[in-house]
Amino acid sequence: MKRLKYSVGIFGLIVVLFSACSKSEEGGSKPFFYIPDGFPNPVYKFQNNPVTPAGFALGKKLFYDPILSRDSTVSCGSCHQQFAAFAQSDHKLSHGIDNLLGNRNSPALYNIAWFPNFMWDGGVNHLEVQPLAPIANPVEMDETMPNVLVKLKRSNSYPGMFEAAFGSDTITTQVIMRAMAQFMGSMISADSKYDRYEAGKVSLSSSELNGLQLFRAKCESCHKEPLLTDMSFRNNGLDSYFIKDPGRAIITSIPQDSGLFRVPSLRNVVLTFPYMHDGRFEKLMDVMNHYSSGIQPSNTLDPMLAAGGIPLTLSEKNDLIAFLGTLTDYTFISDSRFKE
Amino acid sequence: MNTSKLILAGLCLISVSFSSCKDDKEDPAPVAGPGAGTVTIDISNVAGTVNVDETGGTFYTNSSSESFNVTKFKYYISKVQFYKVDALIYEMPESYFLVDESNQVTTKLEIPDVPAGSYTSVRFTLGVDSTRNVTGAQTGALDPANGMFWTWSSGYIFFKLEGKSPASSQVDSSYIYHIGGFKNANNTNAIREVEIDFLGDSLIVNGPRAAEIHVFADVLKVFSGPYTISLAALNTQMGQGGNAIKIADNYAKMFTFDHLHN
Repeated sequence: MKRLKYSVGIFGLIVVLFSACSKSEEGGSKPFFYIPDGFPNPVYKFQNNPVTPAGFALGKKLFYDPILSRDSTVSCGSCHQQFAAFAQSDHKLSHGIDNLLGNRNSPALYNIAWFPNFMWDGGVNHLEVQPLAPIANPVEMDETMPNVLVKLKRSNSYPGMFEAAFGSDTITTQVIMRAMAQFMGSMISADSKYDRYEAGKVSLSSSELNGLQLFRAKCESCHKEPLLTDMSFRNNGLDSYFIKDPGRAIITSIPQDSGLFRVPSLRNVVLTFPYMHDGRFEKLMDVMNHYSSGIQPSNTLDPMLAAGGIPLTLSEKNDLIAFLGTLTDYTFISDSRFKE
Repeated sequence: MNTSKLILAGLCLISVSFSSCKDDKEDPAPVAGPGAGTVTIDISNVAGTVNVDETGGTFYTNSSSESFNVTKFKYYISKVQFYKVDALIYEMPESYFLVDESNQVTTKLEIPDVPAGSYTSVRFTLGVDSTRNVTGAQTGALDPANGMFWTWSSGYIFFKLEGKSPASSQVDSSYIYHIGGFKNANNTNAIREVEIDFLGDSLIVNGPRAAEIHVFADVLKVFSGPYTISLAALNTQMGQGGNAIKIADNYAKMFTFDHLHN
């Protein structure tokens, strides 16, 4: 009797200790961050910044809070809308503060933990410093970090949320950026019809299937699966001169980088119109026509497009567009965890 | 008998689970050793023979005979090392300092836990090592809120010098030099190593007695040195490469040793 009590007691203690050890997610629910089947290892590994419910909630609040802009009119969510896979739907360029127009199309936000750098020109080198760029940009949020820190510190709600997320109510740029990285880095899009087809769960129509085969033959070299981008910067023949926006060359100062822009992921591409770094193409058919017969020559044109682009028949274009439609991830755009 | 075995096994398990619980990777605090002390590097920002007046009220003359004033003068010093002849004796861990002429406290760099001994030189980096430029949001002196970080092309601004000069062709006669760049590719690396040799004197660290190294940082050297930088020819340099490298080669030579307090 006595022995039994001892051993049960010790066993209980051990169980308690073990469970205190494990970093359990919320009971049974989907983890904030995971590596979908077939995806490579992410670039941002949440090192020193594991995703927690409190950190995610804080990042989400910051993402949707116009307090980050100079006059509290523009939030991250203003130009990154969930229903558009966190691009801005139907805007060639986005309106920032004082209704000023930006100079590039708002990129979609998903699977960004896999990106080695950010922006159309790759100028931002780490997920944790990404939000600093739109905050400081005079035509986006036009705010300084010292002002952001002052505003957050004197708010009623933020100090407690930082305390809950990071164990201290001391607000610094680092913890702001880490909370935002928790939220944005958890945006994963990997449940499109294409993904389900790859997993053997659904079938594609003959047009979609033909489009997939065409895609793999003619587009895959840049829009590499499963992320649907190879993360490179290329000149895809939009212009012959790049004075208006030299793209990657702004960052590298290398003349051969003039006219190069990030190859975007094509996941959710139906939702992220208009297309290209300046939003010049309204419809996917415009994009097809560009690659098929609209390539402009220049010194830095990508070699893949040098021999007159990618000739496509009308039915091939239609099949490709049908395939691109399978990349829409309705699970992602309706995920309530990301909802404003 | 049985019970005590169980208890023993349980205790063992508990200790195992406790030790496996620790996931903090903090290094043990460095043992400073007997006689270790704090050394202060006291930097006087000067323009030739006079102290820099950051209110802009004083004009100086550079080697191109151009008149200019200073309204901002900030730079990063990192990786502070203490040498005895050619041997590295001590490097301060996590040593990042932002020297800002508008905040005199920042011109005195406190280096704690320097081991007891005598030293013949100190070396440091002007700039921020490439690792800290590419590993996300930093804190302390490296907090991007300090205004020394390029947000659109990630990386630290190592050095800022701003003011006015009649030689500048800007409408408001301003000049702005923001220098950074941490990549070796394309000759854009503006990180520079600086050695302050004590010229035969020795810095003695022995216990709590404060030792000080007095150093001058001469803003005139930004305009003359390996390269002549003229405000008429260059009133704005923000970004990497090209003239930024020339200015970096110049600012690497702006420090001179003054004296020691042992």
